[in-house]
Amino acid sequence: MTQIIIQGLLLSGLYALIAMGFTLIFSIGRVLNLAYGAYLLIGGYVYFYFAQMMGMPKLVGVLLAVIVGAAMGLAKYRMIVKPLKGDHVAIEISTLILAIVLQSGVILAFGDSSKILLPIIPGVERLAGATIPYSNLLAAIVSWAILISLYFFVNKTHTGRAMQAVSMDAKGAAISGIDSDRINMITWGISGALGALAGVFFASYTQLTPSMWVAPLIISVAIVIVGGIGSIIGTLIVAHIIGFMEIIVTAMIAPELRGVFTMVLIIGVLVIRPQGLFGREEL
Amino acid sequence: MGFLTVENLSAFYGKAQALHKVNISVAQGEIIAIVGANGAGKSTLLDSIMGLTKTTGVIKLGDNVLTGLGSPAIVRLGVGYATERFNLFPYMTVRDNLMVGAYTARDDIERNLDMVHKLFPRLEERENQETMTQSGGERQMVSLGRALMTSPKLLLVDEPTIGLAPKVCLEIAEVLRRLRDEFGTTIVITEQNANFAMTLAERLYVLEAGAVQIEGTVESLRDDPKLTEAYFGH
Repeated sequence: MTQIIIQGLLLSGLYALIAMGFTLIFSIGRVLNLAYGAYLLIGGYVYFYFAQMMGMPKLVGVLLAVIVGAAMGLAKYRMIVKPLKGDHVAIEISTLILAIVLQSGVILAFGDSSKILLPIIPGVERLAGATIPYSNLLAAIVSWAILISLYFFVNKTHTGRAMQAVSMDAKGAAISGIDSDRINMITWGISGALGALAGVFFASYTQLTPSMWVAPLIISVAIVIVGGIGSIIGTLIVAHIIGFMEIIVTAMIAPELRGVFTMVLIIGVLVIRPQGLFGREEL
Repeated sequence: MGFLTVENLSAFYGKAQALHKVNISVAQGEIIAIVGANGAGKSTLLDSIMGLTKTTGVIKLGDNVLTGLGSPAIVRLGVGYATERFNLFPYMTVRDNLMVGAYTARDDIERNLDMVHKLFPRLEERENQETMTQSGGERQMVSLGRALMTSPKLLLVDEPTIGLAPKVCLEIAEVLRRLRDEFGTTIVITEQNANFAMTLAERLYVLEAGAVQIEGTVESLRDDPKLTEAYFGH
């Protein structure tokens, strides 16, 4: 029981971090960024390359991953999203293609076998029969710290409020002096940075493979659909629902069904409450 | 010489031309009204001053040419805009809506917030209410308040009284007058209701099909047969 709670909390924290960058773009930019998982992929491999292959300090590896992630976010906005100006189908197709291209690039550079990341902090803690790797604990703590900062950033700073303003009423934002292009760049940069950081933690939670962008994308889509757009708190709560559900299913029913219940939940929510549990009907 | 001058302004939506060589001049501290029916181009005129449409011609505020600048730059130069549909942020509180207005005027927040609360005490009482749950009158107040938070020297107000109860209309008119008298704000309003416009403005421009048809002081236009025929219906 304790084990389920502890593992549930750790996994949920990680899921919340994974979904946050995706929610941000979906809520503010109104873009379903199907290449979101690619930030995790690239983040994981950048960290692997610098921290593990080159032997740089781990913190430097994490920082480089975050920087590359942010740069990818900016590039994606400039080169795909902005030129396609609100053509959602075109954006979804191009982002999906981009993710697949990046996957091929990673295979070319690193081969397609999976790799194990050395733990950021080695060692484990045993608590009430549960084994907690320090790395997972760190991932959960960092997720929480980032989610709390993001909450205050979005709600209490001029830039954060401007991000919300752009999503709620573009003309209202423009006549308040907000340059929506600049706000979008900031949002895409943050999203990429968060995704890459989540990638480092996700890869150390599971392992590094060229196809590791798929699972986080599905988790993110699930969290956004179930939680509803535009709510950081909603994202956090639903990350916990899905995280605990997976742990409980794995422990009590069968590990193979782990992802299935998440899918069933997505369909159920889409049918019963399309705006999501915590979402607004229409922004 | 005008504080706001609009010279030969034409505006386009795609290939459709919405304004035809409009000329307007507003002195500092003046309240003027653009009067016209639905579709006459009133909102387009204000949108164009704000840099939101494709235009030809020249718009100047003081010595600054606004033409070709984007809205953010125009806001920084001192133009505030309360739109007809308010364009508020529905899931933000009144206070957060006002704070978004302060995006470019961060050093003046305290002073501007104080002024807005003085002009609209109700906004202070309701500062934690989300604007989507508010009445039309309250939304108009938030919209004007948000525009004032940008520290405007020129305030554009599109149809300040549309859909509002007569008592609220008088309140809004009183606030606009106080803004001019106490804070020296130059104000351009648009109105379908020429009577209301005449109680507030010193001069009127009558817009029809995107062109200025009549202009003059309220005194000179009060008995103008053309205006009487078109806008008073008697």
